[in-house]
Amino acid sequence: MTADALTEVVGRVVGLGARGDHDRETLGGKAWSIQNMLRLGIPVPPAFAITTEVCGDYHRVGGESGHRTVPDHVWDGVRSELNIIEEATSRGFGAAARPLLVSVRSGAATSMPGMMDTVLNLGMTDAVEDALAAESGDVGFAADTRARFAHQFTAIVGHPPPDDPWQQLRDAVYAVLDSWQSPRATAYRDSRGISDAGGTAVTVQAMVFGNLGADSGTGVLFSRNPLTGDRAPYGEWLPGGQGEDVVSGRSDALVLDELAAQLPSVHSQLLHIADVLEREEKDVQDIEFTVEEGRLWLLQCRSAKRTPHAAVHSAVAMVDDGLLTTDEALDRITGDQVRALTRPHLDEATTDRASVLATGKPAAPGIRTGVVVTDPDVAEERTDAGEDVILARPTTDPDDVAAMSVSVAVLTELGGSTSHAAVVCREMAVPCVVGCGAGSLTGLTGRIVTVDAGRGIVYDGALPVADGVQEAPDLDTIMHWLDEIAVPATDPDLAARLDEYHQSRKP
Amino acid sequence: MTVELNTLQTLRLKGRISRSDLATSTAVDPAVVSALVDTFISDGLATEANGRVKPTPSGRERLASLLDAERAELDVSELDSAYHEFDSYNVELKVLMTRWQLKDGTEPNDHSDGDYDGAVVADLRDLHERFSPLLDRILVLAPRLRRYPGLFASALAKVEAGDSSWFARPIADSYHTLWFELHEELIGLTGRTRADEAVAGRAL
Repeated sequence: MTADALTEVVGRVVGLGARGDHDRETLGGKAWSIQNMLRLGIPVPPAFAITTEVCGDYHRVGGESGHRTVPDHVWDGVRSELNIIEEATSRGFGAAARPLLVSVRSGAATSMPGMMDTVLNLGMTDAVEDALAAESGDVGFAADTRARFAHQFTAIVGHPPPDDPWQQLRDAVYAVLDSWQSPRATAYRDSRGISDAGGTAVTVQAMVFGNLGADSGTGVLFSRNPLTGDRAPYGEWLPGGQGEDVVSGRSDALVLDELAAQLPSVHSQLLHIADVLEREEKDVQDIEFTVEEGRLWLLQCRSAKRTPHAAVHSAVAMVDDGLLTTDEALDRITGDQVRALTRPHLDEATTDRASVLATGKPAAPGIRTGVVVTDPDVAEERTDAGEDVILARPTTDPDDVAAMSVSVAVLTELGGSTSHAAVVCREMAVPCVVGCGAGSLTGLTGRIVTVDAGRGIVYDGALPVADGVQEAPDLDTIMHWLDEIAVPATDPDLAARLDEYHQSRKP
Repeated sequence: MTVELNTLQTLRLKGRISRSDLATSTAVDPAVVSALVDTFISDGLATEANGRVKPTPSGRERLASLLDAERAELDVSELDSAYHEFDSYNVELKVLMTRWQLKDGTEPNDHSDGDYDGAVVADLRDLHERFSPLLDRILVLAPRLRRYPGLFASALAKVEAGDSSWFARPIADSYHTLWFELHEELIGLTGRTRADEAVAGRAL
C-alpha cells in the first residue's frame, strides 16, 4: 500500500433521495432503508448520510498521523445537505422561529453492539425551546424535549450539549465515528470476523412533530387487522399527539376513520403506502406515522406482530391476493399457530374489547362463563337450579369443596398455585384462578363473567369461545396445499403435518 | 357430646355427605350415626336431600358453640405451638401435592411416568412418618381428632397399593382431603380463622 493510498480520502456526504442508488456498504443499514423507502415514493423525513468511507478515512488517516479529524470538505457537505433539509421542511437549524431539530444515528452495513445510539432533538437551544413552546402551545413539552435531548447527548457524547447547534452536530458526529473503535464494537467484530477497515455511516434526519400546528397528529396503521388478519386496515389516530403517545396505548386515541374524516387526502395516501409496503415486503406491515401541518411522514415500518388467527388468515389471504406463493405462505404458518387456533380460546379480537374485572394466577386451565356467587350454599342451590356458577371466595375452606365441585370455575382472592383451592380444582378439572387480590371479587357477585383460567383473567360478560370452527375454510385450504405438494404425512392432524413440513424444510 | 360435635363437624367439613360415608369418616357405628342424624334433622340442625345430609345455619351455630366449649377445656397455648410446627409440614405437603399434579410446576402430570409418581409417593411416605409424632402429640391435646392417624394411614396404604386417587382426590378421604380438614380443625382449635391465616400466608 503506498503512502498516497493511505492518505487519500474518499468519504463524502450524500443526500438521500428517490433516485439514490448508493449501496448498503456505503450508507449503512439505516440510511439504506431510508433510501429504499424514498425509492418506493414513501414520504420519510428528509435525511442525509455521512458515508461509511468517512469513518474509514477518519480512523485510517488519523491512525497514521496520530490526529483524527474530519476533513473540511465533509463539514461543507454536512452544511449544504442540512440547508437542503431546511428548505424541504421550511425550517431553520437553530432558528428562533420554526426551528429544525434533527436526529443523529450510527449505522454500519451490519448492525453491531457497542456503536453509538441515537441522539434525538439535536439543535436545541434556549431560543429553539421557546419557539417549540410557542409552536406547540405547550411549555412543558418543549422543556421535556430539551431535557431528554440534554440527557441523551450527555450520556452518548460525554459532555453536556454546547449552546451552538452546529457544534452539537459536530460533537455528535465525532461521537459516532469514535464509537466504531469502542472496545465493545471492536470485540464484536473480532468475534464475528468482520473487518475493522469498514466503518459506520452517520445518518442525520429531520425530526417531525405531531403536536406542532393545525392538522397534525400521530398514529399507527396495520396494513391488515393484526387480531383477525382481515384485509381492512386497522389503526389509531391521535390528533395533536407526539410520536410515543399512540405507541404507549393512550386511551383517547381515535379509530383510523377519524383521520379519513379530518384529513382525507392524508388518509388515502397512507392506505396507498400501506399497500405499496405490503407488496414490497410481502407481509403485514405495522407503520408508525406522524402528520405535521397536513404533511404525512412515515417514521417506522416493520412486519406486524399478530395473533395466530391473524397469521393463518392473512397468509391464506395473501396467496389469494397474489402476494405470496403457497410455499411462501406455508413457510409462515406453524403447527403451533394451528394448535392455538383449534384449542378452545378467546379471540384477541374479542378480549380486546372486553373489560377485565380481575386477574390472578392460573391454577387449573379452562374457559368458562357463569354467574359469580360468593356463598357456597347459594352456589349449590343455583347449580341445582340449572345455572352455571362461578364460585368466588376469599380463600377456600374444606366446607367449600362440595360447592367447588359443582361450580363451572373457581376464583380466590388469596393464595398461590400450591394453595388448597388450586390442588382441589386441578384434581377435579375445575378451571381455577387464585390470588386475584384481597377484596377483588366480592363486588362481582351476581355478574355474568367469562373466566380464562389458563391466563388467569376474569372478563365481564359472556364471551364467545373460539375453537377453530370459524377458521375451518382457511385450515382446509392449508391442508389442500400440503396435499398438493405431497408432504409425506404420518399424522393426519394439520398441526402435526405442518410440523413435519417445517422439519423437512430444515437444511 | 364428643360424638355430636364430631358428627356435626364432619357434616360441616364435607358439605354434603351420605349417612354411610359419614359413619366411615367419623369412625362411629353406622346405627349410632344414623340415629344422631335423625335427631339433627328433627332439631333443625341438618337437612337431607337426595340421600345426602348437610348442616343448616342453626346446625353451624350449634357446632360453633360446641367448639367454643371444647376450646375452653383445652391447653390452647400447647396447641398453638403444635400449630406452628404443623405449618412447616404443611408447606412440604403442598409442594408434594403440586409435584403430584404438575411436572415442572406447569405441565399436568398425566401419571404415565411410574418412576416420577413413585418418587412423589415415597416422599409422601417420608413426610407421613416424620409428621406422625407431631400428630400423636396433637391427639393428646385434642383427643377428638383421634380418628386421623388411622385415616391417614389408610389413604397412604391405598396410594402405595396403586390406587392413586387416594393421594389428592377431593370429596373422598384422600391424603390431601384429610390434611386439609385437619388443618381446618387446628385453625379452629387455636381460635384462628382461615381468612386470618390466609393473610398471614399460612393457609394458602
